[in-house]
Amino acid sequence: MPLKTVKKDAADYLTLEWVLHVKNYKLTLDKTRCVGCQICSLACPKEAIKTQKQPKTQGEKAKRAKVDIDLAKCNFCGICDVTCPYGAIKVALNGSNDLPLLAKETYPQICRDIKVDTRQCDKECTECETACPLSLITVTRTGYDGKPVENLQALTPSQKKRVQINLNIQKEYCPTCRVCEFKCSPGAIKVKKAIEGITTINQEKCPEGCTDCLDVCPITGALVLGEDKKVHVNQLFCDYCGACKNVCPVDEALTVKRTSIHHTPVHSGTWNKALERLTSTADAAKELKIQADQNRRKAVAKRFVLEEKIK
Amino acid sequence: MSTPETQKPEEIRVGVFVCHCGLNIAGTVDVHAVADYAKTIPNVVFVKENRYTCADPGQEEIRKAIKEQKLNRVVVAACSPRMHEPTFRRTVAEAGLNSFLYEMANIREFASWCHQNNPVEATERAKDAVRMAVAKVRLMQPLQTIEVPVTNKALIIGGGIAGMNAALDLADQGFKVYMLENTQSIGGHMAALDKTFPTLDCSICIEGPKMVDCARHPNITIFASSELVKVDGYIGNFKVKIRKNPRYVIPEKCTGCGECKDVCPIEYPNEWDMNLGTRKAISVPFDQTVPLIYSINKDYCIECFKCTEVCGERQAIDFNQKPEEVDIDVGAIIVSTGFDVYEPYDMPLLGYGKYPNVITSMEFERLILAAGPTGGKVIRQSDGKKPHSVAFIQCVGSRDKNKYPYCSNFCCMYTLKHVVQLKEKYKEDVEVYVFYMDIRSPGKGYEEFYDRARERGVNFIRGRVSRIDEDPVTHNLTVHSEDSLLGQPIEIEADMVVLATAAIPKKGSADIARILNLSRDANGFFMEAHPKLKPMDAPTDGVFYAGACAGLKDIPFSVSQGSGAASRAATVISKPTWKIEPIISVIDEAKCKSCGVCVDKCPYGAIRLEKPKPAQIITASCHGCGTCVAECPQHAITQMHFTDAQIMAQIRSALEDKPEEKILAILCNWCSYAGADLAGISRFEYPASVRAIRVMCSGRVNREFILEALRLGAGMVLVGACHLPFDCHYISGNYKMKARTDALKNMLTKLGMSPERFRVEYVSAAEGIHYAEVIKEIDAHMKALGKEKIQAENAKLKPILENMLKRKQQ
Repeated sequence: MPLKTVKKDAADYLTLEWVLHVKNYKLTLDKTRCVGCQICSLACPKEAIKTQKQPKTQGEKAKRAKVDIDLAKCNFCGICDVTCPYGAIKVALNGSNDLPLLAKETYPQICRDIKVDTRQCDKECTECETACPLSLITVTRTGYDGKPVENLQALTPSQKKRVQINLNIQKEYCPTCRVCEFKCSPGAIKVKKAIEGITTINQEKCPEGCTDCLDVCPITGALVLGEDKKVHVNQLFCDYCGACKNVCPVDEALTVKRTSIHHTPVHSGTWNKALERLTSTADAAKELKIQADQNRRKAVAKRFVLEEKIK
Repeated sequence: MSTPETQKPEEIRVGVFVCHCGLNIAGTVDVHAVADYAKTIPNVVFVKENRYTCADPGQEEIRKAIKEQKLNRVVVAACSPRMHEPTFRRTVAEAGLNSFLYEMANIREFASWCHQNNPVEATERAKDAVRMAVAKVRLMQPLQTIEVPVTNKALIIGGGIAGMNAALDLADQGFKVYMLENTQSIGGHMAALDKTFPTLDCSICIEGPKMVDCARHPNITIFASSELVKVDGYIGNFKVKIRKNPRYVIPEKCTGCGECKDVCPIEYPNEWDMNLGTRKAISVPFDQTVPLIYSINKDYCIECFKCTEVCGERQAIDFNQKPEEVDIDVGAIIVSTGFDVYEPYDMPLLGYGKYPNVITSMEFERLILAAGPTGGKVIRQSDGKKPHSVAFIQCVGSRDKNKYPYCSNFCCMYTLKHVVQLKEKYKEDVEVYVFYMDIRSPGKGYEEFYDRARERGVNFIRGRVSRIDEDPVTHNLTVHSEDSLLGQPIEIEADMVVLATAAIPKKGSADIARILNLSRDANGFFMEAHPKLKPMDAPTDGVFYAGACAGLKDIPFSVSQGSGAASRAATVISKPTWKIEPIISVIDEAKCKSCGVCVDKCPYGAIRLEKPKPAQIITASCHGCGTCVAECPQHAITQMHFTDAQIMAQIRSALEDKPEEKILAILCNWCSYAGADLAGISRFEYPASVRAIRVMCSGRVNREFILEALRLGAGMVLVGACHLPFDCHYISGNYKMKARTDALKNMLTKLGMSPERFRVEYVSAAEGIHYAEVIKEIDAHMKALGKEKIQAENAKLKPILENMLKRKQQ
């Protein structure tokens, strides 16, 4: 019996399914979260994911590239799920998101290093909540009695002092753009970018008046329209996802170069290859070298311990 | 070898033996008239009628006559040479005559059986057949059989239960056996079954030890995940090329511990489990896999190398493995490729693939198996719950004129097994219905098993299911059928429907048939050399069948055929040498101009040419098709036993009388002659105007044969060949013939011949009815053209043809 497979392409989501008698594999792409970036198509070990540039209608904003997944090639490994900076793809086995990929340490988790120290927060400030370009942050306040505070103004100053601020960040969807960090005036949030790199725009080749990259960029402030009618990059906020690169009409006008990715330690060929595709051969080699050096150091240390014991 | 010219002239004394074959021949053909007529043929010195020539007394008559009458040529007018030629060759040899000084006139399949309602013309045809045989036998020369050494090893293609039995039997007799299996494990379908009928013993428990025996046997080498690429050579001396597909695990180093499987993060649907469950990207298809070597499926592997890491110092994993080709020499080949199961996607009324709770029997087998993906629980796909009513539907695809017309042999019995298992497992908790056409239970203990099912309270409903509907909410199914015993339409609601689908020829049978030069019947199963008397012999010498590949069989039959095929193969490989027929080509070195045409045309590469020396035939490689003979522009090549002179004599003899009313048919031995035989065996009537000449291959048909026939005024000419592209017994003889005859037909049409008078037809050995239809058609054409028109055309053609033939003979 050939495998029963299902592919549904709705307005808001794309689902792929393997329907087995006792098991069910399901991949869901949330189109409302997908920004049409390069990450999943580069990370996929089976080359099952393709991004397609959407045709642009005159006078309208450029559309984000469309992500399509080939059902015949997909093996539901979940690498796209783990790697997607925006958490737009979810892979489930019998409805559970526990991926064997992570359990068996074949693929690292991408580190979204966000540290929040709410003690430094201004009690009335909701700067981060409004600043987050993806609306992932909600600020809640808990009063001295442990109850959520509805109206801050109604409290007495001493009560106000004892109010605790809670920052709820939906980390799994966060691309670590650092916008909140910079907008936070007391400096309560510290964000480390998951992906490091550099995005450059060759101003000579960038066509004047074209704002396609700006239109699709999911991070407010990562790309800015300069006075010269050309787009400039703000490296501070850019998450190096490459959504802009996917729509740029001119070759070589815009380059997105990823140099490193912060991840949990892992020893896996799949990751090495994904890293090479996501960054570059040289950058992947650098990471491998660091890993090898660490291993060597460990081995040497182990040996010296042994020799000491023999003495 | 000497050519006819250099032989000392001797007095030709022909003895003709006319067989009655009981009433098989004598019932239609006036055998006395044939015998009387035979006496009038020049060189015939002795004529004898026998009731059964092939029986001992009949054979004794021949031996006696040879000695007493000093016969030096023998003609037996009896059945097809495909039937008894070897018998009578032995007979004449026993009398001290060279066994190639005998010819058969086929007056049973080609006269009495196919013209039963026309005894007068059948007798005429029989007389002509005898005359043609005498004409040929007169020119025959003694030939010596060629002995070739035999490799005493065997190859078994397909490691199912039949193949394993054949392998074990041969290996126990001391022969080296190679087993070729294209999946990862031997065991075949039987390894996937839960229980076997009618004893309900566990399938893998009885097969598993045999599988292990095969792997452990010092005389057996198993090539799993491998495929057959090429087979060269002939009986006793096959040269086989096998491709070992990469499994990315080194067989010698893999211990089968399974640690790699545990760390592998990727799962994919297990085809061996009918895709009901999953397996890891590095895994074995099932626990009892033999040989126990893990494989990586690169289609799903994401190359994390966790398996390499855990395999550690064993170093059994090699991601750079490439396909590897292995050459082996064997003396005999047993084909036991088995069958496939039909998936009824193209029967939309049954809803398979559309409704989740409609499954096939093979899937049910995996569900009820304790080691299966559900742990032996029969559950529905839609909600994972146990069904409370199950309907079994028989003959899905089989016994269906629109799909597979044949009965699939074992479906009735396995359905009975399923219902008994289900009833014994869930007792009153499950209601079982079986929709059947007929329950076929011919076997030891089978009918009793049927009784057992009925005693368990299973509802048997005789009727064919018209359609199945599904309730979209509950996913319950409604089966619409007719109860033909009550003569009323019936509707049954069931939680689950199990389809007993047809068993069909194995995918890839066509490739195997092409590689080994086998023919397949109308349904796609391999054809036996003789359906009754040689059920395990392939038409190619040295190749044998076992199991379902040559027609569906259940397990006990497949096992016995495996042993039977082993014994047949042992008759070849137990001998130090094997005699092959000397019907090979011989080059007249004086005539050869070293042009190299024969080298290009030989399908076997059996001709060597080192210019400027004359071309040379490699005797052992020559298969005797005669294509080179027909192609040689210098007429320097002769095919022994089928020389130009002999065939020309037959043509002339066939067209001696009223040629414009005759159809001259030149048929290739393996397909069209066999098809014509089948027309006779099946008693398909066709006009008696046809006169058939047998050649080994249509590639042997010279242009001159056709020109000569038309020169003599033949009404119609037919060349019968094997189907294009792959059916030719000699690889490509039919293509060579086609190129030749296409050009010839063009030329003849331009010269003023009606195009329908020369025809090439492709008839397989299974197409008796097609042969009869073709002859009917040609005869109708001939009648439509009319004698006068044919004669007029011939008068116009004759001088041109005479000229052409004369030029050729210079």
